[in-house]
Amino acid sequence: MSKKEITIRIDGVECRTTEGEYILNAARANGIFIPAICYLTRCSPTLACRICLVEADGKRVYSCNAKAKEGMEVVTSTEEILEERRAIMEVYDVNHPLQCGVCDQHGECELQNYTLELAVDFQHYAIADTMREVKDWSTVLHYDAGLCIVCERCVTVCKDMIGDNALKTGPRGGSALDKAYKETMPKDAYAMWNKLQKSIIVPSNGTEHTNCSDCGECTAVCPVGALTERDFVYKANPWELKEIPATCAHCSSGCHLYYETRFASIDNHEEMIFRVKNEWNFQSLCGAGRFGYDFENRDVTKDEAAFAKAVEALKKAETVRFPAMISNEEALMLQRLKEERGVKLVNPEVRPFQRFLQAYAKASGRSLYGSDFKEIMKEADFVVSVGAALRNDNPNARYAFNSVQKMNKGAGIYFHPVGDTLVPTFGKSVECITHKPGQEESALYLVLDLFADKESLPDYLREYLAGFHETRTRTVKEKVMKEIVEVVKDEESGEEKEVKKKVPEMVEKEVEYDHNLLAESLGVDPVAFSESFEKMMKKKESFALIVGEDLYGHPQWENLARLVALVEKHCGMMTAMIPPKSNALGVALICELVDEASGYTVGYNQPGDFRLSALGDGDLDMPAMNQQEGTMTTMDKRVVPTNAALEYGGYELNDLMNALGLGKRLTIDWTLELPAEKGFQAVAFDDLKDGFLNDGTEIRGYALTPIKGRASTAKAKEASDEVLEGEIAYRCNPQRQFNDFTDRAHQIFEAFALYASPAKAEELGEKVEVVFEKGSLTLEVVADERMEGEIVAVPDFKADRDVYGLFGESRYANVTIKKV
Amino acid sequence: MDGYIIATVIKAILVLAVISALAGFGTYLERKVLAFMQRRLGPMHVGPYGLLQLVADGIKLFTKEDFIPNNANRLIFMIAPVITAATAFIALAAVPMLPEFELFGITVRPIVSDLNIGILFVLGMMAAGLYGPLLAGVAQHNKWGLLGAARTAVQFLSYEVVTGLSILAPIMIVGSLSLIDFNNYQAGGIGEWLIWKQPLAFILFLIAGFAETNRTPFDLLEHEAEVVSGYATEYSGMRWGMFFIGEYANMITIGFLASLVFFGGFNDWGFIPGGLAILLKVSFFFFLMLWVRASWPHIRPDQLMWLCWKVLMPLAVINVTVTGFVMMF
Amino acid sequence: MSLEQFKDRNVGTQNYTMLDLGESPKTGWGKFKQVAKRSVKLELFTGLKVTFREMIKALFMGEMHTTKYPFEKLPIAPRYRAIHEMKRLLESGHYRCIGCGLCEKICIADCIRMDTRYDENQRKEVSEYTINFGRCIFCGYCAEVCPELAIVHGGRYENASEQRASFALFEDMLTPLDQLTQQKEYPGFGAVSPDADKKIKKTPLAY
Repeated sequence: MSKKEITIRIDGVECRTTEGEYILNAARANGIFIPAICYLTRCSPTLACRICLVEADGKRVYSCNAKAKEGMEVVTSTEEILEERRAIMEVYDVNHPLQCGVCDQHGECELQNYTLELAVDFQHYAIADTMREVKDWSTVLHYDAGLCIVCERCVTVCKDMIGDNALKTGPRGGSALDKAYKETMPKDAYAMWNKLQKSIIVPSNGTEHTNCSDCGECTAVCPVGALTERDFVYKANPWELKEIPATCAHCSSGCHLYYETRFASIDNHEEMIFRVKNEWNFQSLCGAGRFGYDFENRDVTKDEAAFAKAVEALKKAETVRFPAMISNEEALMLQRLKEERGVKLVNPEVRPFQRFLQAYAKASGRSLYGSDFKEIMKEADFVVSVGAALRNDNPNARYAFNSVQKMNKGAGIYFHPVGDTLVPTFGKSVECITHKPGQEESALYLVLDLFADKESLPDYLREYLAGFHETRTRTVKEKVMKEIVEVVKDEESGEEKEVKKKVPEMVEKEVEYDHNLLAESLGVDPVAFSESFEKMMKKKESFALIVGEDLYGHPQWENLARLVALVEKHCGMMTAMIPPKSNALGVALICELVDEASGYTVGYNQPGDFRLSALGDGDLDMPAMNQQEGTMTTMDKRVVPTNAALEYGGYELNDLMNALGLGKRLTIDWTLELPAEKGFQAVAFDDLKDGFLNDGTEIRGYALTPIKGRASTAKAKEASDEVLEGEIAYRCNPQRQFNDFTDRAHQIFEAFALYASPAKAEELGEKVEVVFEKGSLTLEVVADERMEGEIVAVPDFKADRDVYGLFGESRYANVTIKKV
Repeated sequence: MDGYIIATVIKAILVLAVISALAGFGTYLERKVLAFMQRRLGPMHVGPYGLLQLVADGIKLFTKEDFIPNNANRLIFMIAPVITAATAFIALAAVPMLPEFELFGITVRPIVSDLNIGILFVLGMMAAGLYGPLLAGVAQHNKWGLLGAARTAVQFLSYEVVTGLSILAPIMIVGSLSLIDFNNYQAGGIGEWLIWKQPLAFILFLIAGFAETNRTPFDLLEHEAEVVSGYATEYSGMRWGMFFIGEYANMITIGFLASLVFFGGFNDWGFIPGGLAILLKVSFFFFLMLWVRASWPHIRPDQLMWLCWKVLMPLAVINVTVTGFVMMF
Repeated sequence: MSLEQFKDRNVGTQNYTMLDLGESPKTGWGKFKQVAKRSVKLELFTGLKVTFREMIKALFMGEMHTTKYPFEKLPIAPRYRAIHEMKRLLESGHYRCIGCGLCEKICIADCIRMDTRYDENQRKEVSEYTINFGRCIFCGYCAEVCPELAIVHGGRYENASEQRASFALFEDMLTPLDQLTQQKEYPGFGAVSPDADKKIKKTPLAY
């Protein structure tokens, strides 16, 4: 879907952009300023503020929704436009509370900025104000309607990016505008005021509270102080906070964010993170990233005795067990430990993914999946997700899926055994196929069947797929226009006339159709599916496949990896995998992992005989991810830097390595040595860039280089018919929980409990014991309104509960659930 | 003979006690007078009108740490203030303070020792006093001290000449070196005062007296704007206090000398009895020194030398010569 | 000032005004004449006269300058900048500070710090406020920048204390409630100018 490059002139400056791009985006990408309040770069135009008025080829247009055409001449400000903009800003200032002094947006408020930019020094308009109440929408969202200018950015971002659709405009109950204004005011300002005076933002579910994933992106995009994080309200002023660019370490998205720090209080001069900010025009955060920031290991000093013990422990260790939430440098240190001292590296979170990735590399001849989520979000208009619990596994995969529907007018198919009520709301053309656990192979075969260029497929596959097609007949009712002849008598003349008339009639008809057994086996009505699929395919050009964690631990993982490679090759689909946890991709590439731990085990943030822990409960303290610098490998295949936001006074892994004679001066000295044969580059940490360019290009770190090899020609096996039946538990975290560290954050409340659909939760009662083959867990039951079906979700974010041990490799397990 | 020794000892002790008390009191007076002249109140808090300030100062000086800097010549450093104080008091031995009076039937001559070379002795002792600041400055291993010592030598030696020459003319007229004889020479009332016969000698003596006692405008020895505290830079506590007492004792001595030589001494002054008269005169000279300090700025060392050798010394010589000629004919 | 003027280091030849002090005598005879003249005119005694006159004035004419400070105090200027005061609203008695943090920001000695929070009445509450008087240079910027006329300089200039903390807390600076009626507006830095009303344009209101 590559678009044609065109050139337009904005205020005489030549700008390169693509055809169909909005003028405002073209201007922003080229560093030209056009005032705009309601428009967000990656979202659809809202047309609420109307301040982005420009003159394009002599006509007044809104630059946020006027598309650029070759050779267009754009003038960003004329006298009339300035007058209009000024009037709009005056209207925004009508009745806006003069409480800038206490407002949390004070200093970074766009209303302040534009009021000054457009030199509003006098107010011409007035209207009686309406009482607007302050509300807490959820555990984290705080809405001060009095400050709201109803730019609807929050509504837009929630719909277009996040997909929760949790907000909408509601009635304000304000008084009507004075009619006299209509004549005296500039036109656009009047229209904008008219709309503004009628609306306010409310939760879209009709209650006082939002039911969303609490990502807080709406608070980030709010140009004024109306929407803020409850915890941050009136705590600190923005200008006191020190911005520290970092990478979120909670999931594999590796989002860019800023930790904002300040001294904690008058009594406590230690730096503390007050909130998290992001570049919301280019990257959206999830609730864990935005609110899960205070997981640092506080008040750590250098405990020499513990350090000596740790060195001893590492010397006699046979196994080191560690999680995926670890920087590339630390992973490399552990790998060096393996090479030099022969310890086994165990990482239950990453191991299946590593195997899967290796199998995929073998099958495809490329070490890394071909696409990434940024590309999918931007380019794809048909996205298929297999084996990922989109809502829970990875926020950015979900945002990509949603954005394809909303922004690219795309379609999507969501294969997953656990029913979800949110995914269908992403767009009209979203088909959810709730298959049984274990049928992922069939799902991929269906994808092959639906999208593959049949000619290019190997013969055995073509035959195998053809075997699923039967020509069947079915009865369809069809409307047929039947011509009948009626005799009508003309009353006046008495003449009889024959009048021909067409009358609709329902006719039953036998038609032949292609019956897809594959689809049927996955639990969909093949007829309805093929009809809707036909609609979905209209005008679609670029396709994408999202591969999720279910596949990695699947008993048939090797075959699945082959199938993914086949889909990528023969369907021409942009393919991206979701690495299961934080830096899973980095660990998978850097470390040589084994399946089983044995002997004396040192656990790094994991259970073990000797525990190194950043949670403050281990035998030796380690820095948490917001206290160390290093790099992470994101699911977009980039190696990105992160910086230390908070002080840390204790020992780190590099110190232990030094004590063993394997260390370097600094942890970041390891960055240079990341394995080039795995696609890393020899770039020093301090040379890594961070951030985004004006046009949204990510310049953080560098992209991994895929290593090309020879594609194996091993045949894909036929889909096995092993499926899980009975009571099934699914290893899946609630939306904002990823690991012990998110759990530690004081603004993340999701409990370690059994999550089930409301119906199932009612059936189960308050507390249950979930009995696995190897053990059991006693958990509270929490109803997740967005879950459907019988499968229950067991979270894994607490390492010491050893959920991985209970489940084994697969994410699905047969369990017995007993009420307690 | 025994009685004479006992009387002398008692007199010596009295002079020592009274003059050192007066020296202390002098500091109080100085502060008060300077304050008044600047329209301030001066010390007010210790005792009524701040009278006990000198007690407080005394306590302070006595209790302060006795401090000897590293590398200083300890012995000389310790002795130097004693020389200043001692010479100042010894000089007073030949000065008749009051007229004779009777106490318990005994005639008391309020002079420790009526030497026939009284005035020479006094001037000699005061000249010997120059060793105090000189040794102190050299001994303390401090550049300011050294500068102070150099200034001491220059200033004291130079003005010694003027003092001697200026007072030579009155001596010629009186024909005696005893201060009692000076007093008796002027017994005939105000008209007999030597000031009328030797005004120039008086002025020269007074100027030289200021320089000898290290008073403004000639207090270059410890001029704090130039040499921190000169010879006294490293001194504190009672050692510094002794320099101070010596200076004030010298002021009193100069006051007595001026009164006795030029202003009729302790002769009755009209209805004022002689004892009171000399105290008034000495008080006036003391006050004059404070007054001058409040009014006039310091002069530079080169100006000091210029004044001494090019103005005062020639004038004194001329004065002596003229006096001689007048007496011859 | 242009760079050329800065670069002209010919000090003494620029815009100095020479006072007419007359010529110093160059020859020995001239100097002698000057000395003689000054001696005859008794110039030195003018100095003595002045000091004596001042003494008389001080002692007998009641023109002593000294104020016995701890017992007597001179009135200070209303705009004097001493230890800060926090004012209250006269109507409600609530403190004026809204916790906007501008004083904290503008403080060039970085001695002001405040803790704020969201209180039960949905307002910003200043939970703690301190000024480190060991660092404060009493420049008055905080009073000038304060939008609420809440922090001002007071007249308490006696800063000696056993602990700096003794007068650094919010409560210490705040007008005591029982003295609310005696609270005076501060005319110094940051105060409303007398003609402020004339300078503002009124915002139209629809009531």
